Amino acid sequence: MKPSIYENSRDVFLDTVNAKDYIQLERISAIYDSLKDSIEKPLKMVLLYGKPGTGKSMFLSRLYQNLLPLQKVYLYSTPILDESEFFKTLAQDLYGIAYDGELNFTQFIKILENRELQDTAIPLILLDEAQLYSTAMMEKIRLLSDTRKVKFLIALHKTDKEDIIAKEHFQTRIWESIKLENSSNSELKIYIQKKLMKANCIDTASMFTQKSINLIHKLTDGNFRNANKLVYTLFDIYLYYANTNPSKITKGEVSTKYIEMAAIHTGLINA
Amino acid sequence: MLNVSELEFKHKKYKRSFYYRYLIIFSVVIIGLIPILLFTLFDEKVEIQTTKQQAIITPIIEEKNDSITQDSNSTLIIVEENISKKEKIIPIIETKEIEDNSSILEEKRVLLTPSLSFIDRIESSNTQHITNVISDIKEVEVENIEPIIEEVKPKEQIIVNNKIESIEKTLPRIEDKKTSINIERKDEESDIADVIKRFNINHNPALSLFIAKKYYQLGNYEQAYNYALMTNDLNNNIEGSWIIFSKSLVKMNKKELAIETLKKYISYSNSSQAKQLLDEITSGKFK
Ligand SMILES: Nc1ncnc2c1ncn2[C@@H]1O[C@H](COP(=O)(O)OP(=O)(O)O)[C@@H](O)[C@H]1O
Ligand SMILES: [Mg+2]
Repeated sequence: MKPSIYENSRDVFLDTVNAKDYIQLERISAIYDSLKDSIEKPLKMVLLYGKPGTGKSMFLSRLYQNLLPLQKVYLYSTPILDESEFFKTLAQDLYGIAYDGELNFTQFIKILENRELQDTAIPLILLDEAQLYSTAMMEKIRLLSDTRKVKFLIALHKTDKEDIIAKEHFQTRIWESIKLENSSNSELKIYIQKKLMKANCIDTASMFTQKSINLIHKLTDGNFRNANKLVYTLFDIYLYYANTNPSKITKGEVSTKYIEMAAIHTGLINA
Repeated sequence: MLNVSELEFKHKKYKRSFYYRYLIIFSVVIIGLIPILLFTLFDEKVEIQTTKQQAIITPIIEEKNDSITQDSNSTLIIVEENISKKEKIIPIIETKEIEDNSSILEEKRVLLTPSLSFIDRIESSNTQHITNVISDIKEVEVENIEPIIEEVKPKEQIIVNNKIESIEKTLPRIEDKKTSINIERKDEESDIADVIKRFNINHNPALSLFIAKKYYQLGNYEQAYNYALMTNDLNNNIEGSWIIFSKSLVKMNKKELAIETLKKYISYSNSSQAKQLLDEITSGKFK
């Protein structure tokens, strides 16, 4: 194979979040469907949580893209730290009001309460990396959703600290929480192969036999981000050999040795 | 560029230590088994003891095998384990594959846990007692959900009011604020360290922008500038990174550069926030 094939395959595994690169996995589409259900329910807040690299941001951007033509929906990928800025952004997005000065919580909630819903669907705000919001801010977000004029879907990665947030600040809510998990063995296979096939790298996609997938799954625990890093480095190694010593590349399946080398490089194996 | 020859070397080392470990475990097991065999052969009274010892040793072997081997037998075991683990989780939804060109798939289940469990775990002073609504959200029909909400609503209303009041009360008090700021700051710095660690792992522009903003708030404009720049490298369409970048420049007495940057950004983004900032900088309102 030409070196460029390895280069293209490698770049497929850059760690980026882009709705158009979304790979449908049956488990995730089931979660997706139930999430869409719960958005339509009278639940006020929905929590999406899971370890880093389980696909939360990807999931949000996909949901955002899909809901965009159907209802009012906004994605805040980066937490808006400054409170006034947060409420001003909300006022701008929800009602098209631009505020010059400060806008505090009390003022904003008054605006919210005095507004009639124009739509049947309550506008939805998707908050990514929500563990970065302060505890006080989360409390205010909760109070905003109490007005039933806006809904929040909150994505956060779970640590002990977030357990505390969950306890103290959402205890009184009837809300739904959905957990994203690392992928299973067969899901990881679909993930890697589909990702490559989408980029027209069919030859390299077929190199991932069940045996190599098993090893990759064992090393990465099925975590998408770790898998991305590992496979990226793996193709980097292939690229190196293709350029310097093509005879070292065996045809057919991915070499176990190269997978292990990539794992050493990415720190998944301690050597 | 990847240093492949060094990697090859490390891999060799890794393989060697891997075989050594295998060898050591193997010899330990053999050495351990010899006395057990001897005991079972010559002394019936020790039987109980020996079975205990076996019980300790065998799991170690299995565990090691499991984590090391790559032959097809053991991988089969792992797959089975995965499946059995899945099934232990309370299944709520079963799904079928809809997508087309995918390969072989097993049946899988999805876990949706209603987080109501922490409602009843909590005893909080101002919430008193919240009705124990423990139900499986997935199974509650919409008609069923309405009454539950109605029931809780009056209590919620009270809480909301309380909370608003307490927030309003804390806001105007300046002395209170000052002391709390000090405490907050310590938190924030450890928070930043935590986020930086995560950013170094996954290079998510959301995180670097967050760090830039935090540093800006803390008055560390050099770092704010650095992280805004990194954010911009990762994705140059994030408005916030341009804003923080320019603000930091002004704070570092590089007003001209800030103006130039903003103009460049405005020319292709038409960002109203950037325009406003540009106005404030040129008029001297922001310094
Ligand atoms: N369903 C998916 N389809 C395609 N890529 C995905 C999917 N889920 C996760 N990824 C990839 O895995 C990486 C980590 O996902 P991300 O959404 O950033 O995780 P999290 O937000 O939970 O930390 C991203 O680079 C993304 O490209
Ligand atoms: Mg994320």
